[in-house]
Amino acid sequence: MNEFPRLLIALTLIAVIAGAILATVESVTREPIAEQRRLQMLRALSAVLPAFDNSPDSDTLTITTGSDRQGREVETIFYRGRNEEQLVGTAFRVMAPDGYSGNIAVMVGIRPDHSVHAIEILTHAETPGLGDKISAPWYKALFIDKTLEGSDWRVKKDGGEFDQLTGATISARAVVGAVRTGLELYREHEDKIIAQGDNP
Amino acid sequence: MSLATDFKRGIWKENAVFKLLLGLCPVLAVTTSAENGLGMGLATTFVLVCSNAVVALFRHLIPAKVRIPCFILIIASFVTVVQLAMEAYAYDLFLALGIFIPLIVCNCLILGRAEAFASKHPVSHAVADGLGMGAGFTLVLFVLGGIRELIGAGAFLGFSVFGAGYQPVLLMILPPGAFITLGLLLALMNKVEKR
Repeated sequence: MNEFPRLLIALTLIAVIAGAILATVESVTREPIAEQRRLQMLRALSAVLPAFDNSPDSDTLTITTGSDRQGREVETIFYRGRNEEQLVGTAFRVMAPDGYSGNIAVMVGIRPDHSVHAIEILTHAETPGLGDKISAPWYKALFIDKTLEGSDWRVKKDGGEFDQLTGATISARAVVGAVRTGLELYREHEDKIIAQGDNP
Repeated sequence: MSLATDFKRGIWKENAVFKLLLGLCPVLAVTTSAENGLGMGLATTFVLVCSNAVVALFRHLIPAKVRIPCFILIIASFVTVVQLAMEAYAYDLFLALGIFIPLIVCNCLILGRAEAFASKHPVSHAVADGLGMGAGFTLVLFVLGGIRELIGAGAFLGFSVFGAGYQPVLLMILPPGAFITLGLLLALMNKVEKR
């Protein structure tokens, strides 16, 4: 039994040292990590928005756009891209809850005329070699210039016009659904997005 | 035993995957491409060498009864350091390996080496052992990833090998492909050994 305090001290000491080292590393890497995340966000924004000369990641508008299955409110952040003060496009993230393995986060860029400028897949965990083709450039290009009315927003297998991916219909269906949701969200909140844009 | 023997042992004679069948979870999960295998192997090697060194350094101070939690704490700390450093300074690699990095903690190869070797030997030998085991592990992940990428995607390290006309065998990229390839490699190893 006298061994017990020794065990306690040894374990506590190691935990304290480990904690101190981790705290140091965390504080050193905190800023580079935040910067990397911001750069990644900016890269995604540049990929889906027409050429802009402002910083869309600081010209944002947050709107409560619905609720998830637990009834919590879901907020969408709209990033506005401007060129010479003129709104050229709005980008925001849409979650596809119906991916083959987990959520698929899609960034959609929508022009003021309600057409898709481009999309970007932010995060997904789809099957390598099958479902992960959703992030291939040719697949993302399918959505360029599409509008809510101008397209049949289903995959071909379901009678629509979007290519499903061989062996990964579910992933393709989820992305098509997410982009359509994006277009609908934009339509629904357009007045707010543009109204605030006039007096930034 | 010399440092060189400690190093070489991990590469072939006691190769973590082929001989000890340790750490199979990452072996099977991340080897969908040669690049992923290599990245995971190197990250694991780094953690293995660091944890082996620290465990060997403190081997007389860690009481036997709480050695396992101590080892896990040391390993988990290094894994977190690797993860934070990778996210801060090698973001693209972090995105590619992201979810597998924390899994290094539960790679029994690392705990296995801490328990079986590092806790009984001086730091220099423990580091040599970690380097050797890590090199052997990385080699297997690279070969396995290379074979699966070649057959399953018709490419190697991201470069197309068989041209556009090649119909990839998707099964090889999917989990069954990992088991099949590993099984065949193990059979081949045994055949070579017997000769």
